Amino acid sequence: MARPLAEFSSLLRTGSSLAEQQEEALFPPLAVPALAPLLKNLPRGGIVELTGPRSSGRMAVLLHVLAQATGRGEVCAVLDTHDQFSPASAASAGVRLQRVVWVRCQNRPDYTLRAADLLLHAGGFGVVALDLPEVTAETWNRIPISWWHRFRRAVEHTPTIVLLCVETTQARACSRVSLELESRSFEWEGATSFALLHRLQTLGRLRKPVAPRATPLSILAVR
Amino acid sequence: MYACLHQPLPAEDAGTRLELLELALEFSPLVELAAPATVVFSIVPLRRKFGSPRQIACLLARRQKEQGLHAQLAIAPNPDTAILLAQHASAQHSGEGIVADPGTEALHLAALPLAVLLPKDRPAFSAMLPLLESWGLETCGDLARLPESGIVERLGTVGLTLRRLAAGQVRRPLRVRPLESPYEEHRELEHALDCLEPLLFLVSAVLSTFCERLRSQGRAARRLELELSLENKQSCCRSLEFPVPLEHNRAMLKLLQLELDRHPAPAAVMAFTLRIQPSAPRVAQHGLFLPPTPAPDKLHLTLARIAGIVGTANVGTPELLNTHRSDAFRLVAPAEEEARQERVDDHPGSQLHLTLRLFRPALPAQVRLRKEIPEHVIASAVEGNVLRASGPWKTSGEWWSATGWTHEEWDIAVENGAAYCLIYQRRARQWFLQGIYD
Repeated sequence: MARPLAEFSSLLRTGSSLAEQQEEALFPPLAVPALAPLLKNLPRGGIVELTGPRSSGRMAVLLHVLAQATGRGEVCAVLDTHDQFSPASAASAGVRLQRVVWVRCQNRPDYTLRAADLLLHAGGFGVVALDLPEVTAETWNRIPISWWHRFRRAVEHTPTIVLLCVETTQARACSRVSLELESRSFEWEGATSFALLHRLQTLGRLRKPVAPRATPLSILAVR
Repeated sequence: MYACLHQPLPAEDAGTRLELLELALEFSPLVELAAPATVVFSIVPLRRKFGSPRQIACLLARRQKEQGLHAQLAIAPNPDTAILLAQHASAQHSGEGIVADPGTEALHLAALPLAVLLPKDRPAFSAMLPLLESWGLETCGDLARLPESGIVERLGTVGLTLRRLAAGQVRRPLRVRPLESPYEEHRELEHALDCLEPLLFLVSAVLSTFCERLRSQGRAARRLELELSLENKQSCCRSLEFPVPLEHNRAMLKLLQLELDRHPAPAAVMAFTLRIQPSAPRVAQHGLFLPPTPAPDKLHLTLARIAGIVGTANVGTPELLNTHRSDAFRLVAPAEEEARQERVDDHPGSQLHLTLRLFRPALPAQVRLRKEIPEHVIASAVEGNVLRASGPWKTSGEWWSATGWTHEEWDIAVENGAAYCLIYQRRARQWFLQGIYD
């Protein structure tokens, strides 16, 4: 009856390998078909970077993620460094404002980071969005990278996503996903004298994990 | 068996009422305050120690004599009979009061007039008195002798209750209400304190006592008030209104510390008074299938800490105002968890929406026009030729108030690759960059 130990060896696992095999908690697939393949692995418990210049659609993507999270009943936070968040735009993008905590950081990136630290350690948030789009390179140089390590550790094994909206990548090794957006063109509709801004065509390129191709995204202007 | 003590004094004699209550509490921790000057309590646990009901009655009479009280005492198998006997039959007795043994309740109540069963504050009962009198009933004994089924047929459940009261057959537990504890304490300090830490150390001791008392009574704190008497003979008050009732002193103390950090006392503190407004605790079951949300007390504490960094006016949940004015909102405290938990399953939409990043305040701009269309724009955030412009879209509103606006909006694409919302304020005759499309 005694079987050789080698027969069971395929079934044996070490504790560390079991921990690795645990299913990673993921954010539900995004509703925008073009965006879903780019951010299909939006991981909970990690930092996600949205990078790009002005008018590249970073805010549109950020609000879409917030809309989806708040629509599921999650409480989200927006840490608005430059006081640029528009509640009316967010509401029209589908964000449930009653589930959003908005912190206006008075053009102080250090306030943003300190507030983010408090929120992440308090726990319970679905998405904590750090909006730092206009921070200059000099200011970034003064911000220690240890902040991102701290944030990464704070949200590890939690359902919280840290969504970082910046011009160039900052979290580097600490981010799990990095999506670069690039503005291509604006589409206008109507006759020349009465043209309306209709659509922004932008290009999304997954930098981390690296995707082979860029994906075109279409962002509709809402009136 | 229940004992009732009734003091036939004006209801406003609060001192006597309190003495009566204290006397009852010496014998039992569960005391029903049946009327302003009537207390009822169970004597069953006392029988092993003090003996029969008559011996307990003797003891109660002796104790109240020692305290200078002249309450009327009745002991009966149920609370209502004890109350009726103490309130209305005691005039006929003296000394140690009335003791109604089990089975003799109806006998003791028989001589009482019917009116004692029909309190004026209960119209359903008092309206029945003329009818019962028209039937020739005068005493409780008369009513108790009537058959129960006949009473129910003619008077319903109210009549049945009256008959059972008259016969001393109502069995009910005591209606014990928790005693209102004073959540207020005044402390005089030996030396004036000009630092926050030692003051918080003293406040913490009082607060932890309050919180223990709150928890033991199943209560929570809704409001906290700290009144400080200062060295310069003035006083100042700091109050905190909690969005959800709090039970733990750590959260309250931290909130108080943040409040005192933001608004410190103008002089050294000589004394303080701490007050807490108790309320029912918040009981909420989190949905099994709902995503986790921050604990309300923790969220409140975190937001208070953030408010200490960015200012109170810069933290909250945005709420749109009912107006067409752009960027009209206010920040409110985050909604209660129950309100947030209403799950909304509707889809956010399968389209990305171009949104506006606002400049607050709008950036003054210099605009060169060509055929009344912006051709070149210079502002602190942007400078360049306008590639395409859409407008002017004229809007105005709220002309009756100071927040009124009249301006022309332009959507412009600038050569740096970004699109902006440009406005021309007709009143100020000036151009502003309102925001970036992103």
